[in-house]
Amino acid sequence: MLNTRDLEERWLRYKIKSYIPHVIITISSLVIIAIISIFLNSGDKIEKTIVVNEKKVEQEIKQKIEPAPIKQKIVQVEKVIEEEPVKEKPIVLSKSTISSNDASLKLTPSLDFMKKMQHSSLPYYQEETQQQANLYNNSTNSAQVVEEVQDLDIEESVQASTMEEAPKTVTISRRNTKDDIRHIIKRFKKNNNPALSLFIAKKYYELGEYHKAYNYALITNEIDREIDASWIIFAKSLVKLNQKEMAIKTLKKYIENSHSSSAKILLEEIVSGKFK
Amino acid sequence: MSSSIYINSKNVFLDTVNSKDYVQLDRVSTIYQSLKDSIKKPLKMILLYGKPGTGKSMFLTKLYNDLSSSQVVHIYETPILDESEFYKTLAQDIFSTKYSGELNFTQFMKIVENSELGSIPVVLLDEAQLYSDVLMEKIRLISDTRTIKFVITLHKTEKEDLIAKEHFQTRIWESIELENASSAELKIYIQKKLMKANCFDSANMFTGKSVNKIYKLTNGNYRDTNKLLYALFDIYSAYDDSQQLSSIGTTQVSNKLIEMSAIHTGLINA
Repeated sequence: MLNTRDLEERWLRYKIKSYIPHVIITISSLVIIAIISIFLNSGDKIEKTIVVNEKKVEQEIKQKIEPAPIKQKIVQVEKVIEEEPVKEKPIVLSKSTISSNDASLKLTPSLDFMKKMQHSSLPYYQEETQQQANLYNNSTNSAQVVEEVQDLDIEESVQASTMEEAPKTVTISRRNTKDDIRHIIKRFKKNNNPALSLFIAKKYYELGEYHKAYNYALITNEIDREIDASWIIFAKSLVKLNQKEMAIKTLKKYIENSHSSSAKILLEEIVSGKFK
Repeated sequence: MSSSIYINSKNVFLDTVNSKDYVQLDRVSTIYQSLKDSIKKPLKMILLYGKPGTGKSMFLTKLYNDLSSSQVVHIYETPILDESEFYKTLAQDIFSTKYSGELNFTQFMKIVENSELGSIPVVLLDEAQLYSDVLMEKIRLISDTRTIKFVITLHKTEKEDLIAKEHFQTRIWESIELENASSAELKIYIQKKLMKANCFDSANMFTGKSVNKIYKLTNGNYRDTNKLLYALFDIYSAYDDSQQLSSIGTTQVSNKLIEMSAIHTGLINA
């Protein structure tokens, strides 16, 4: 009788042994195929990734370049800007309603910081102040808000006027200069300081009032004959008053005494006709 | 199928040399016919050679059975290695001369010369490679007298082939080579063998695939095939006894069982 169990075990070992080379061959071939495929695909993937990256970059560029979102943003900004004056209206309404009701209330807190913020800030910040104003409106003290709104209106008008009268500021400065001269003349009369008289002469010369400049330069010379600038202003004023020869004589005499280089330069310019 | 069928099938492939079990294959039949024709020719000696298990002994037995009815034939399946004993056996069988003492070649040749035989007797010597070179040379000298015709079989290995050539190539002898069966011949061989024993179900189990498997294992060698199939049906019988055949199936021979029988017979080293 055959021992079939033993034979089966031996057969199983034999089959496992016989399959080992096949398994090794298949695994090794699969590994080789995988390596080859990876090696071959690596180039394609790099190309693909490059292409994909290029596409992404193009899309990003397009997205950046595409005007649609920018328009949206602009529209949003415009909306925000448009919304702001709309929000101001109910405050104005509240001003009229509340002010009529509580006209007797005149106690107001100091809101100077709000004014400063409104001066320096954009309308966006005005919204916040308006919201704060609304908060105040919702509270019991509504008169304060009224006053604040009035302040806002005033300041807006002030800003507008300053913007419109921008060129007039020159005239104002002139006026200020003349006022300054008057103020300095007052001071000069009090202390008889040659520096002040020289300043006045220079200012008059700058303003084109050469006669007054001549007088104050002469006054300065009488007080202090060694001030270089007073002699130069004196000579320049004479030239402007068509007293060129007088100016030349005066400068020559002064140069003989002082040897001033600036006086010499001016003399040369007057003689050559450069200074008129 | 009952286990008796597997036992019967197993017994078919018992390694016995019986002329009744001789399976007639086309190529083998042609060779056999050429051998019979050679015996009729005035040849001194006929050499039948081939690898072990190619059917030389079967051929010789078959020839003995076929010729014994028509002429004097003597077969010696087991070699008689002692020279005196060999002469004495031949003198007794062919010439009916009993010799009590030592019989040498000279004495035997005298017997041969004095003999008055009507026909030339045929002596069939199996496994002739076991005879000594001296005896083989004396056998050649006896055959040269043309009083006895010898048919000898030799195993054909590389070395033995060289010996055979050296001994016989210069003589006018017929030499017939037997070879292993092809896959197709093996299928016919197995099926004819089984059908001779009325094992038709077992014969039908051998498909082309299973026979190819057997052919790969045995390389068409008849003896190895017989051994393998004996073990195969032994395993079938054992499985049948333990009622495990349902898991294997009986429509065709299981490759697993073929391999198991090959392991059992040593054809597969596992």
